Amino acid sequence: MRAAFISALIVGLCVLVGAVLALFYIAAGALGVVTGALFGKPYIGVAVANTITLLLVMVMVIASLLTLAERKWSALMQDRIGPNRARLGLPGLRDKALLGIPHFLADGIKMLTKEDFVPAHASGFLYTLAPMLAFGTAFVLFAVVPVAPVVSASEIPLVGGLAASMGVDPFPVSLQVAPGYDPGVLFIFAFSGVAVFGTALAGWASNNRLALLGGLRGSSQMVAYEIALGMSLVGLMMIFQTLQLEVMTDGQNQGLFGGILPAWGIFLQPIGFLLYFTASFAELKRPPFDAPEGESEIVGYFVEYSGMRFGLFMISEFIGTVVLAGVVSALFLGGYHLPFPPAWGVEEWLRSSVGEFGLAVVLGTNFVLKVIVLCWLQLAIRWTMPRFRFDKIQSLGWKILLPVALANIAVTGVLLLADPSLELLAIVGLAEILFIVGLTALYPKKQPASLVLPGRMMAGGTGH
Amino acid sequence: MASTKEIKRTAEETSQLSWYQRLFVPEVIRGLAVTTRHFLRNLFGGRDPSPDFAYRKGSLGNQVATLQYPEERAPYPVGYRGTHRLVPREDGKPRCVACYMCATVCPAQCIYIEAGEYEDDPIEKYPTVFVIDQLRCVVCGLCVEACPKDAIRMDTYQHTPPEYTREGFIYPIERLLKGPPVSYPSDPWLRRKDSAQPQDQHFPLHGVAAHSTEPVEPREPYPAGRNHPAPPVFTEEEVRKASGS
Amino acid sequence: MSEEKRAELVNITIDGIPAQVPPGTNLIEAAKTVGIEIPHYCYHPGLSIAANCRMCLVETNKHPPGKLVPGCQITVMEGMEIKTQSQRVKDQQRSVQELLLLHHPVDCAICDQAGECRLQDYYQEYDYKPSRLDGPKWMKNKRKILGPTIVLDQERCIMCTRCVRFMKEIAGDPVLGVFGRGTREVIDVFPGKTLENNYSGNIVDLCPVGALTWRDNRFRARAYFLSATPSICTGCERGCNVYLDHFQGVPYRYRPRENPEINQYWMCDVGRLSYHSLHDDRLVRARVDGEEVEVEAAAATAAKRLAEQGGRLAVVVSPVLSLEDALAVAALAREGLGADAIYVSGRPAGEADRLLLRADRNPNRKGVELAAQAFGLQVRPFDVLMASPADRVLLAGLEIPGDEAAFVEWLRKAQVVVALGTNLSPLLDAAHVALPLAPHSEAEGTFVNFQGRAQRFLAAYAPRGGARPGWAWAARMLRDLGQETGWNSAREVFMDLGRKLPEGSLGSFDWDATPRRYLKGVVPLPGGTVDGRPAGMRELLPLRSSGTAA
Repeated sequence: MRAAFISALIVGLCVLVGAVLALFYIAAGALGVVTGALFGKPYIGVAVANTITLLLVMVMVIASLLTLAERKWSALMQDRIGPNRARLGLPGLRDKALLGIPHFLADGIKMLTKEDFVPAHASGFLYTLAPMLAFGTAFVLFAVVPVAPVVSASEIPLVGGLAASMGVDPFPVSLQVAPGYDPGVLFIFAFSGVAVFGTALAGWASNNRLALLGGLRGSSQMVAYEIALGMSLVGLMMIFQTLQLEVMTDGQNQGLFGGILPAWGIFLQPIGFLLYFTASFAELKRPPFDAPEGESEIVGYFVEYSGMRFGLFMISEFIGTVVLAGVVSALFLGGYHLPFPPAWGVEEWLRSSVGEFGLAVVLGTNFVLKVIVLCWLQLAIRWTMPRFRFDKIQSLGWKILLPVALANIAVTGVLLLADPSLELLAIVGLAEILFIVGLTALYPKKQPASLVLPGRMMAGGTGH
Repeated sequence: MASTKEIKRTAEETSQLSWYQRLFVPEVIRGLAVTTRHFLRNLFGGRDPSPDFAYRKGSLGNQVATLQYPEERAPYPVGYRGTHRLVPREDGKPRCVACYMCATVCPAQCIYIEAGEYEDDPIEKYPTVFVIDQLRCVVCGLCVEACPKDAIRMDTYQHTPPEYTREGFIYPIERLLKGPPVSYPSDPWLRRKDSAQPQDQHFPLHGVAAHSTEPVEPREPYPAGRNHPAPPVFTEEEVRKASGS
Repeated sequence: MSEEKRAELVNITIDGIPAQVPPGTNLIEAAKTVGIEIPHYCYHPGLSIAANCRMCLVETNKHPPGKLVPGCQITVMEGMEIKTQSQRVKDQQRSVQELLLLHHPVDCAICDQAGECRLQDYYQEYDYKPSRLDGPKWMKNKRKILGPTIVLDQERCIMCTRCVRFMKEIAGDPVLGVFGRGTREVIDVFPGKTLENNYSGNIVDLCPVGALTWRDNRFRARAYFLSATPSICTGCERGCNVYLDHFQGVPYRYRPRENPEINQYWMCDVGRLSYHSLHDDRLVRARVDGEEVEVEAAAATAAKRLAEQGGRLAVVVSPVLSLEDALAVAALAREGLGADAIYVSGRPAGEADRLLLRADRNPNRKGVELAAQAFGLQVRPFDVLMASPADRVLLAGLEIPGDEAAFVEWLRKAQVVVALGTNLSPLLDAAHVALPLAPHSEAEGTFVNFQGRAQRFLAAYAPRGGARPGWAWAARMLRDLGQETGWNSAREVFMDLGRKLPEGSLGSFDWDATPRRYLKGVVPLPGGTVDGRPAGMRELLPLRSSGTAA
């Protein structure tokens, strides 16, 4: 009963995402036609439309819902129900929990209407600037993430006819804010590097010792992981010989071993995937890397922030989650391409049956689903692991991730030189994956002796 | 207690991870598996709708143990001392005869009684005012023990519901008089109509005293099935209704 | 009998204890002299001997062995050995108790007598066994209204006939009788009669069980909560000795207190009902020109206005005030205000009867007159007061014998009216300063009855609100007039001013003869209690005092 309901809900969600993406395409196409007719440059309209639809609608909606999902999903992971008490005071909805959705609306209202507090002796300008920096840098990263493939405007329903009537030549439309932007991955490194200013400034400008501690922790942590972050993607750059995410995405659709295995980044670069995922996590300051926040010890760099200023910090964390999911999906999980071996020709079959536009919508939906699943994975990790001690964070970044990233570059280089067809790289990558899986499966039944605490040391073991 | 040295040594031992644990990644994956298992179970698994959470079955997959309090309630154990009730007779009057035993024994002195007089009842005395201050009450149940008439009970299986004012916690007799009526064979109202001298079939001359000229009506037959009144059983519906939710 | 013969005492032995008692004493009274109680229901020293309850049966050596004799009826003989603890006596007591309880409804929960009930006490002492009755109990009328004051529960009655004997012998109004025989025996009024007598309340006190109840305070209080304070009835100038039973500052009833010189064991219903004024419609806040003010401010205002206003002064003293109050008011009138006479007001006279009730319904007329005499003040009757207008009036007590409306009109002509009163009254409308007065339940003091007998009464509980005894008001006003009195209690007032009373006017009265803890054998229960009652519930504990059920 419940399983059927949840499954139907998920299917309905997929259909909804598909429909929304189709609307995005149409909007982008239509605005492209307009600017094409006015200025002769349709890509301006496409970019403007994508900015609005992808950034302001898609990313914001997913990030907002993640604030709720964080609580609701963590509840499910911990055998709880989660928030379900807020109600919409509308007729017919008064008694419906609506999966807790009213909670995030209530949160928004609460943050917007709370007192906008500025502590005495705070640096007014920097204090105001910090949340903007944190929010903007996280937000802008999604500009280079390709959500759905390129489609000719003439293939898009309504837009094709409109373009013809307005006398605009067919132009490429894709759901990506900045397609063909050469720096690509470097853009991501650059702006996630700027994000540290938000944290550091918030800590500094608050005129609060705890906030300053949080800001210091945040900046040192982000510096530590910035290098590992960059190094972890060098392997992929070498493999696909590009920095553009959409080129990498399409590059992953080539078949290896006669089309049995798609050349996804995770198969070619499993170590790179782990490194990038971990480093990005640390960059986001999400648990288990949330020492800058550390609510149980120092409350964090935003301790003095209230209302929507705090809300910007919080939402930027979730936007970062969405962006990380999108980047990982585009770089390592084939982006918007379907998770089937290219040899099966699923995409060709879809193209012939539902047309170019239909295929694009299906692929876009596929991408959004991958993003959502990766968001879930991040939340699951957050609710699985306890916070690292701060020295452990530093030693992990400098002593483990960085050497491993350098070694990964070297090994990848050697393997690429040995076999430019990537198959050797894939074999080594699969072996690494198998090694990790096997190690996990061969978990020792018996607990290591050192984990078994002596009875008298157990909590409550000695009576008071 | 372990000595300081022992504690130090044990802490060193436990801080040493095995080689497997130091690999970290498999442990993280295993931890994720645990989290994911719970997540999927609770997402897709149905929930036992029984409000009695102690007896919920886990067979439907869902492991959520939360009790949605106002809608779902854990039943109180047998013998739970709930809010008081004044036990009514079958005719709706309280069994209470305002003897002040409960008020006398009450260690919190939360009971206040004023007595009145019936003119046409087998028991002339009854409480015109019977007030329990639930804020003062310590729920010790001594009033129930002290009552010689089984007129006050704590078998409502409710705790004191919240109120917006302190006055609201001072329960008057209208609020206390509730629940199923109780009678015993020895109760005077089952044996006589009023306080006047009754005529008894076993004693034909009973009530016909030499000086009495008033006619005496035969009393109604003895009610059946009163010898062992069943203890009150509250349905779930009644409990909910009584608790005002 | 010769003079010597009468003075001789009879030597007896009770349970081995030797005693000497006057001849003619019955065994119950004789046993009492050595502290041994012979249980009894129907015997009362003020009534004739009926010997029908059979509870007082004892063994003596002057009767055939094994023969039990009633202790109430048999008088002592020289050399008599009385056995009250023999097995035979105990068996008899238990059997009588079981018989009396056989058809008793045992509805102690609703019975007003519970806590002072002979059946309850004797059951604990002499029976303490469960009932052996199988069938249903005999049912009688539980609510027989005998008259305007008395309700009878025939089921609870044990047929001791104390009430019948009292109405016949003491009240002289024999309306009660015993009807039926055996189990069907009941007490009732004779057909066509009702129990309407000024002494009907005494049968409630006499009733050893809860059969007869007093409709005035029926079901109002449990007997075991009540504290008893020795007091004096203020219903008339007889000054009957009473207990004032009260609980948490509320008076519940008067009970007669034994005093063979004045009221024996009885009191009248008029006096019995007079306790209501101690509680109802009390003046509890001092007022100046209709505004409530604090005690000190009110006294200061009263003194200031009385002193500053010139003209004719009229001091009106009510004979309901105690002797101490009257002395202090007289001192205020004479030394503070310079008066040369007082006018004595008081309640209007009523009907007298042949037993206790007197026509003059004021308890202390004699005392007020003595107080005036002590200060050389003329005593003038109330009638002459209104002949001429007064400029300033000091009203001590609001009871007046005449027409209230006319007196209020007269008061309105005065410039300053200071009124001390216990209860709300129309007179207060004309008073510029109203001072609440503590009645005799809330203050200590002395009343002098019509025989010139001075009798002490004790304070039962603290004064209500701003109420103060009359001497306290007078002392405050005197202080404001520049005369320090140093009175802190009624005793100090009496010791200070009582010396001015005419020599020998109070006889051998000794103020300190009545201790605060009055009755012998009474312990102020500090922590634990001898009888299991909560501490503080009874400051004074008249255990079966002769007043209620001797």
